Amino acid sequence: MVLNHFDRKLSTADAALKENFTNSIFEFDSTFYLLFDNIDEYENPASSYMNTIKDLGEKHKVNFVLFNQIKHDDDRFMLEGQMFNTRSGGLIYRRKIDLTNYLNGQINELNLWVGNVTGNIEKEWQKNRESILFKNPENIVQEKTPLGAAMRSLIFPGWGQAYSGKKVSPRVWAGTESALSLAVLFNFLKYEEATKNYLANLKLYNETDDEKEVERFRNQAESDWDEHKMFSELAIAFAGATGTGWVANSIHAWIVGPRSFKNLYQKWDPQLPDTTG
Amino acid sequence: MKFQRGHVIILLIWLVIESCTLQKKDFDNPVDFIANEEKGIGAPTLVFYPKTQSKTIADSILVGAFIVFKEDSMESFSGIHLQIEFPNSFLELDTITPGLFITDTLKSTPLFTYTFDGTNTVDIFAYFLDTLKTDLLGTGHIADLVFNPIGTGSDSIRYNLSVCEMIDQDDAIIELKGDRGAEVIIQ
Repeated sequence: MVLNHFDRKLSTADAALKENFTNSIFEFDSTFYLLFDNIDEYENPASSYMNTIKDLGEKHKVNFVLFNQIKHDDDRFMLEGQMFNTRSGGLIYRRKIDLTNYLNGQINELNLWVGNVTGNIEKEWQKNRESILFKNPENIVQEKTPLGAAMRSLIFPGWGQAYSGKKVSPRVWAGTESALSLAVLFNFLKYEEATKNYLANLKLYNETDDEKEVERFRNQAESDWDEHKMFSELAIAFAGATGTGWVANSIHAWIVGPRSFKNLYQKWDPQLPDTTG
Repeated sequence: MKFQRGHVIILLIWLVIESCTLQKKDFDNPVDFIANEEKGIGAPTLVFYPKTQSKTIADSILVGAFIVFKEDSMESFSGIHLQIEFPNSFLELDTITPGLFITDTLKSTPLFTYTFDGTNTVDIFAYFLDTLKTDLLGTGHIADLVFNPIGTGSDSIRYNLSVCEMIDQDDAIIELKGDRGAEVIIQ
């Protein structure tokens, strides 16, 4: 006989037991309200409800009574299973398990519990439970990795840091690299302009035989040449800084990239008394 | 993303390569005394403009003869004699006209004459014999020489500096320190 006491409705529980354990015959008594949840308070817990169990055995003509209780607490649930022998009235098997809730966890744990007492556990139920267990560190596939952060920052400065959940450094990197890139572009455009002016004035210089114009165009062309050289050097310097910063930003993204923690530390609370002795 | 990253990298590399390209500082106008000085040719200098020209056999070739002074060491001159040799294997002399420098705002064309030996040498003489305008100062255009191609080839028109002369109004010789020829290519 099965006595289910759940603090939330699990309408599929009875049907699931019948379906999964076809070699067992279950009787469900929904009228039975007695809770066997305080057996630990008795001197001899195994025989706490001896007479009640025997009465139930005689009444329902069953060999065993399974008492299943599920209580929920936020994202966890507690399953307590007790198996009584109706011939002796004693508790012959008990399981108490406190678990993080998982998909169809209550039914799955009920199956595991009943499967355990009937000697019929399916692998799928075990697999379902393993879904809440910590995996072998070697098998853990990190969704976010330092390499992923580095690659993102290589594509766009600051992206990798943002991907790692940093707040300030993405803006700093993106701002710095943007400013440097703009400086490269600005100097390159000025270089282009100075080059065009130089070539135009050089052409005019070559095409005139008037000594005054020759002098004027030469002076202009020389000034343009000096400018094009200066802006070329500036563009190269800024491009170097941009490139170096870009690589540094990617390395920084790798350094601050998301990693699994090996050690967990509790924050010290100065209000607590010193217990170190 | 890979596509975009590739473009960004190519753009950056292109910008850097483009920025690395420095133009050659190539000032070589024969009328520019600094350019001549950079080539080791002292002033005053007799030059032709343009320094090189490439024409077809149907074209005529105009070459200007110039005197180029250094800005800070100019001397007034009253007469000049230029002896010019040209490659007569593919050029024949057509016309010689006075340059703008010696027919300036006063419109007083000096005594300007020339002789041609019938082969490849032209002698040009210019004198200022006026009472008001007796000399000239500075860089300027002495004469224009027009040639007709008679064949194809490549050679230079040049001054014979040992014969060329420049004098001031006291008939004192002003030393000519250099000359530059002009390359003519007829295709």
